[in-house]
Amino acid sequence: MIEVNNVSFKYEDEIVLKNISLKIKEGSFTAVIGSNGCGKTTLAKHLNGILTPAKGDVIVDGFSTKHSSFETRKRVGFVFQNFEDQLVYSIADEDVAFGLENLGIGADEIKRTVNETLRSLKIENLQKRNVNTISQGQKQLVALAGVLAMNPKYIVFDEPTTMLDVKNKKNILKMIYDLNKKNNIAIVLVTNVLDDLKYADRIVLMKEGRVIFNDKKLALKKRLLQEAGLID
Amino acid sequence: MIKQLNFGQYRHKNSLIHLLDPRVKILSVLFLSILIFTISGYEILIFTIFVIILLILSKIDLMNLVFNLKVFYSFMLFMLIMYLLFARNQIQDGLLVIWRFFMVILLSYVLTYSTTLSMLIAAVEKLAIPLSLFGVKPRNIGVLISATIRFIPVMFVNASRAKDAINSRLGSFKEVKTVKIFMVLLLERMLKSASNLADAMYSRLYNEDAKSSLALSMGKYDYISVTSILILALILIIY
Repeated sequence: MIEVNNVSFKYEDEIVLKNISLKIKEGSFTAVIGSNGCGKTTLAKHLNGILTPAKGDVIVDGFSTKHSSFETRKRVGFVFQNFEDQLVYSIADEDVAFGLENLGIGADEIKRTVNETLRSLKIENLQKRNVNTISQGQKQLVALAGVLAMNPKYIVFDEPTTMLDVKNKKNILKMIYDLNKKNNIAIVLVTNVLDDLKYADRIVLMKEGRVIFNDKKLALKKRLLQEAGLID
Repeated sequence: MIKQLNFGQYRHKNSLIHLLDPRVKILSVLFLSILIFTISGYEILIFTIFVIILLILSKIDLMNLVFNLKVFYSFMLFMLIMYLLFARNQIQDGLLVIWRFFMVILLSYVLTYSTTLSMLIAAVEKLAIPLSLFGVKPRNIGVLISATIRFIPVMFVNASRAKDAINSRLGSFKEVKTVKIFMVLLLERMLKSASNLADAMYSRLYNEDAKSSLALSMGKYDYISVTSILILALILIIY
């Protein structure tokens, strides 16, 4: 379980997160939603320790992001909003292998895992392709493969549908849903698009650095979405 | 614009040069880059023929190559103009320097065209092992080089977007102020991309002590290549 306990964070003088507490259970599908600049991405980056809180703490399966960041990053994968910048190597299969190399896994196992991961996402055809020459949707899948290959227990998707067309949006959301249901990976989906909430079980609604709703999707009221500035 | 993205980027081809050990390729490029600056006259012609053979063996599309190098033409033209303005009596030397510079670019192009970034990292990791005596981590050097190459196309895309943004609001690149805005905008975007990459690498457990999973080994073509280069050097030096 990921436990966010009384977390506050500020960039220079601007307070971005204000005393946030929430829990992400294993195998759950949580959507973090809010208007632009409400602190969603900052919160998401706290979940695997890319950022560490100024106050409070984030605990992943008993490991603090402040003190055991290797363990927390190993458990929580992160697919960035700008997935173009997430790709370290220019050849797809080599990029997928990057995280595995860092884990110190042997060459044969890396090769097997990379092939399996590409196959599971149905992108074996991209194996030797240069990532600079493939489509945005394909780049995102390669970025996702790089995270999946490391076998995380939780994956945070930061606005995964922002840069995609309608067809690719639908595909990536279905893929995220399958990861949750078939692979039992807990999903944290950060978004400001209400349509993306389709598969989420739980909603965390944010406004100006605070959580104003944290409950099952069915309990979410229209009034709160208006208050958060997501609908008129 | 998209075609420019090919510069410095690996292309999967079944060529002899692609098959070579990356360590051999890196050391050969370094050796040949030094060699070109020690020779002159007809030796340059022999060297140029050798480079053309390398381009053909790498199965590089020569028309694309001419196009992809266009970013360097203005720089070479600038060098020529400088010679014409300030050292007209040394114009022959100037042309020679420009040609040598061009050969080095072609050699680097062959290297990056035929070697994947992970191969480059694996090779740099192995070649930089002696530096670990001074506390330098070989993987850091390898990743630094590969990230630079990886981000060349990203820079072109960012530059194109910044230029479009300025043009769409009627900015004129004839004005110094606009060029300054363009440079700041591009720098800002590149720093943002670099910051995102750093976050992504951290998130994917970047470990400077990790080793590349690629096993490198020398084959018969590597030995033939090394011998060919040594013979070339010998001919040029004796000549």
